[in-house]
Amino acid sequence: MSAGETILVALIAIIAAPLVGGLLSGIDRKLSARMQSRWGPPLLQPFYDVAKLFQKETIVVRRSQNFYVYFFFAFMVFTTGLFFTGSDLLLTIFALTLAGIFLVLAAYKASSPYSFLGAERELLLMMAYEPMVLLTAVGMYLVTRSFIVVDVARSSVLLIQTLPGIFVGFVFILLFKLRKSPFDLSVSHHAHQEIVRGLTTEFTGPTLALIEIAHWYETAVVLGIVALFFAAVPWLAAVATAAVFFFLILVDNVFARVKWQLALGSAWIVALALGVGNILVVYFIR
Amino acid sequence: MNLQKWTSDTNSGILHLRSPPLSTLLFLIGFPLVVAVILISARGMAARSVVVVFAAIVIAAAALSLVLPRAAFMEASIALPMESIEKGVFVLELALAAFIFYLGIRHTRHFVSLLALLQAGLAVTTQVLYGRTVTVATPLAADKFSLIMAVIVGVVGSLIAVYSVGYMKAYHEHHREFPDRRPLFFFLQFIFLAAMFGIFFSNSLSLLLFFWEVTTLCSFLLIGYNGSTESRAKAYLALTYNLLGGLSFAGAILYLSATTGVVEMDRLVSMQRDLALIPAALLAFAGMTKSAQLPFSSWLLGAMVAPTPVSALLHSSTMVKAGVYLVLRLAPLLRGTLAGTMVALIGGITFLVASLIAISQSDAKRVLAWSTIANLGLIVLCGGIGTYEALWAGILLIIFHAVTKALLFLCVGTYEQKTNTRDIESMTGLIVTMPKLSIMIQVGIAGMFLAPFGMLVSKWAVLRAIVDSNPLLVVFVVFGSSATLFFWVKWMGKLIQVTEVRPADEKGIATRQWIALSTLAALTIALVGFYPVISSQLIEPYVRSLYGMVTTISQGNLIIMSIMLGLVALFPVTFFIYRRKVRVVDAYLGGGNVDSSTRFQGAAGEVKTMEMRNYYLEKIFGERRLLVIGSIACVAVIFVMFGVAL
Amino acid sequence: MGMRAFKRSPWVLHYDASSCNGCDIEVVASLTPLYDVERLGVINTGNPKHADIFLVTGSVNAQNVKVLRTLYEQMPEPRVVVAVGICATSGCVFRECYNVMGGVDTVLPVDLYVPGCAARPESIIDGIVQAIGLLEKKRRYMRTMRGRMEEIVVGPATAIDAPEILALQKIVYQNEAEMYDDWTLTPLKQTLEEMRNDFADKVFIKAVVGGKIIGSVRGWMEGETAHLGRLIVHPYFWQRGLGTKLVTAIEARFPQAKRFETFTGQKSRHTMEPYQRLGYLPTRQEKVSEHRDRIYFSKEREAE
Repeated sequence: MSAGETILVALIAIIAAPLVGGLLSGIDRKLSARMQSRWGPPLLQPFYDVAKLFQKETIVVRRSQNFYVYFFFAFMVFTTGLFFTGSDLLLTIFALTLAGIFLVLAAYKASSPYSFLGAERELLLMMAYEPMVLLTAVGMYLVTRSFIVVDVARSSVLLIQTLPGIFVGFVFILLFKLRKSPFDLSVSHHAHQEIVRGLTTEFTGPTLALIEIAHWYETAVVLGIVALFFAAVPWLAAVATAAVFFFLILVDNVFARVKWQLALGSAWIVALALGVGNILVVYFIR
Repeated sequence: MNLQKWTSDTNSGILHLRSPPLSTLLFLIGFPLVVAVILISARGMAARSVVVVFAAIVIAAAALSLVLPRAAFMEASIALPMESIEKGVFVLELALAAFIFYLGIRHTRHFVSLLALLQAGLAVTTQVLYGRTVTVATPLAADKFSLIMAVIVGVVGSLIAVYSVGYMKAYHEHHREFPDRRPLFFFLQFIFLAAMFGIFFSNSLSLLLFFWEVTTLCSFLLIGYNGSTESRAKAYLALTYNLLGGLSFAGAILYLSATTGVVEMDRLVSMQRDLALIPAALLAFAGMTKSAQLPFSSWLLGAMVAPTPVSALLHSSTMVKAGVYLVLRLAPLLRGTLAGTMVALIGGITFLVASLIAISQSDAKRVLAWSTIANLGLIVLCGGIGTYEALWAGILLIIFHAVTKALLFLCVGTYEQKTNTRDIESMTGLIVTMPKLSIMIQVGIAGMFLAPFGMLVSKWAVLRAIVDSNPLLVVFVVFGSSATLFFWVKWMGKLIQVTEVRPADEKGIATRQWIALSTLAALTIALVGFYPVISSQLIEPYVRSLYGMVTTISQGNLIIMSIMLGLVALFPVTFFIYRRKVRVVDAYLGGGNVDSSTRFQGAAGEVKTMEMRNYYLEKIFGERRLLVIGSIACVAVIFVMFGVAL
Repeated sequence: MGMRAFKRSPWVLHYDASSCNGCDIEVVASLTPLYDVERLGVINTGNPKHADIFLVTGSVNAQNVKVLRTLYEQMPEPRVVVAVGICATSGCVFRECYNVMGGVDTVLPVDLYVPGCAARPESIIDGIVQAIGLLEKKRRYMRTMRGRMEEIVVGPATAIDAPEILALQKIVYQNEAEMYDDWTLTPLKQTLEEMRNDFADKVFIKAVVGGKIIGSVRGWMEGETAHLGRLIVHPYFWQRGLGTKLVTAIEARFPQAKRFETFTGQKSRHTMEPYQRLGYLPTRQEKVSEHRDRIYFSKEREAE
């Protein structure tokens, strides 16, 4: 892709991703409500929420706390652009991690007990899912001989056939990344949690809105990675991604939150068994 | 990273050893020796400080001059009377061994004496049996890799020397119970620097071993500097493990003299692999003891009793780098062999276990020590894999780690001096109480694991190297690096978390210390921008000369990383644009705040204070348990390594 | 979209002051499938910093006065307070109890009352819906003012400003009246004629933003002492240091004064703070009416 094309694709992605992510968030809430025999909010509710938040006052505990959030947002946008212009998958993952770290630092900066607990738990969760995410990239590389997203997407190999273990493992840790029960320890969309709002406790108004929009970006990126597993057959990719998303919502509504020991242990065991196991198989077959 | 494969036009047989002029190399080895002698005989600390600073500048400049674009580079020539030098070195080695033997007897550390005796025995056997038959063509030479190491030692080592002037003054003011042996301290520092240059410039293995053991002795003496019983015990532990390595090294030389007669590094590395496997394994073992790989890590932890400049200089930035330097030198030999895989396995296990252990440490120096061991493990992993990608990644890791770790150690040392504690929990709100220092610590921490800083780039390179050669090793890297994320970020978070505003107080820190700290911080940042240049000028030619191929980071990715760096660089700018219009309110405490973010109304009407302490998770990541597991695993692997080598 | 957004996304902070939990259960019941307030976009956040509507059940006692104030302060504007249930409205049958101070309006400016014991979910939902309307109104007001925070101008006021200052005075003293349950406060009863007369012999300072007066203070000399009083700031502009600015400005108008004196009600924290910040110390306290004391403050001018 030429530089001009890259910038165009990046712009389209940066504009479209939050719209898609927000819509998905609305679908999430609607479906969850239906599963709970309720009507649920309108599909566009997340957008209403964000629009309202932008009109609220900004309150801070420490004056510099919001700056970390701005950078969290900036890097999330950057990661989205990076991924959808088909760049290096490892670099995308590192940028995503960097964004997440800024959010954690923001919560530390807020210097409140609840945000502090949220930050510690978030770090535990990041430690939990990081191996599987990296193993996903490694697995894709082993099959397609490239870390470049464009190459993986254009590969004629249907990745799900050779990387089923990694696929399942990745979907497992999507529960962490998308903040779904049973692994929504650090910040949750649900009404209450034992550490109030966790990471986002001390953020108000426009800053909170940015955090929410960043989450939409992240949703788009990780679902994009899910789609990569089926990229060889585009219609299958769409269906599978939708199925995975529905599955995540289902699990969210069925399970209760677990303690961090179980979260960390299960994520690592899954990464080891499914991720490394899959890599072993791929390696020895070649 | 796109792989760009080039073939070089050199013969794949004998390497033409190109090196800077011998005079420069000798200067770098000899000058610090002279300075050391001056320092121990000089009178008064003021004079000593001047000498130290002056010498530091000269050494740094000399080292840097080696890598300047127009630096002279020529065929390494033998203009030295080799026979007499060899004999002289042999005598000195025996003297060294005798000294250690004597020390061991004197302090009833008989095992140490035994090791010294054995090593002397091996040296004597070698000299007697093969002294005449085995010759050394080029004892001293420096290729690009050596030059990289020399610059690291020259620049980082000098900065640490400058730092230590101010530090040691305060050290003795605070610790009047320790005898003031600063003349010895500075003497040893410069002897050590000379020995380090000697290691990197030695092509002859016995010469290398001699300098190697000199650094062992310096380390021993410096760890035991303050003369307490505890430090002496730790010093002997370090001596024991390092002597084990030295023994292995001497064994390798004996074996080589007996079998092929190749006792020079450049020729060893280009030998046929099956002939060189045993010495390679022995030398790798030596490197691994020096670099505190499992199961030999406890000596590095013990060495933390030494004053901070010692920890920074010897035990993170330079001496331990000698160990991994040796392993990386052996990379072409280890590539594709089972022994090499075993070496990589040791490195990998060390990286994983050390990173996990670091989570449970609340003593800042111990965190840094375990992190050092982990990163050394990563470099050893690269050496064991031995491909051109791995070698590139390994050298890059060395560069970034040396600079960043030195910065972190010196910062922690300064902090400890000011506050008498090393506990990370005490660093809460450091951004307010000691802003400059906390920013430097944050730069250091960021440099250790954050994109787009150097260590991240290196880890990226390591990942790519692993997947291209032995994907199973990836387990260690992915789990280990997620562990590093945890303990670094929680430290960083502690620094910026402000629960009560206390006045800033950074007084009492010597200017020299600030100079060293700021230079290192600036270097850490600058390296991120400049490493492509370093890579293309120094690392890639070296790798290419060995393998005929290189790897590098593609233009596209470089641009991306520059953008990321630019974005991150904007962050400090934000501290100057404070919106005055935001409303400041206390943290949410369920409405029970009592005029603060940490005090709240308790149940019976009493006011309670909240304390926030990081997770250390000792039950899961406790040092003892993990150390045992890791050590057993590595011991097993070592046996396998020697087994397959034979 | 902006205005409608509040209608579509009211986030609620539910606090039980000293309720028997009857009303609380009904509030939570609104979230259940039978009533499902989430379809209105209502989320029960447990965090004042995320909330728009402060739902309070139960009456106020000495222990939760501070909590209510703290939670309210930690809510970002625009915010409304809804008192749910008769206990929150007025204290109901417990009003005369030794521990009960009364309804929520003894502490906070309540925007909406939802009576009932226990208040039914339908009433609560209706209350929320009406509160949303109030939110929008407040939001609109905030919007016109918000962007102009930098443009607050503090300067002398003249008799032309009398009507506006009187109106502002009445708004601010509403709060005071509710706090002390005393609707006979002089500032509330003052007529325009009296206000104009005040301008003749007293010095007035006003704070203006966007052409509207949002703060004022007055002072007059008696011998060597300058008396200050009627420090009023519109509630939307509290906690921005405006009070301190006004007091500093009026102090500067009395360069010859050796002493400054003022008084406030004992509960009027917002009026006390600017004075205290500027070094005023309490001298005496006297009872003026049933629930209201006056605390007198004074400050000596610092030696040049």
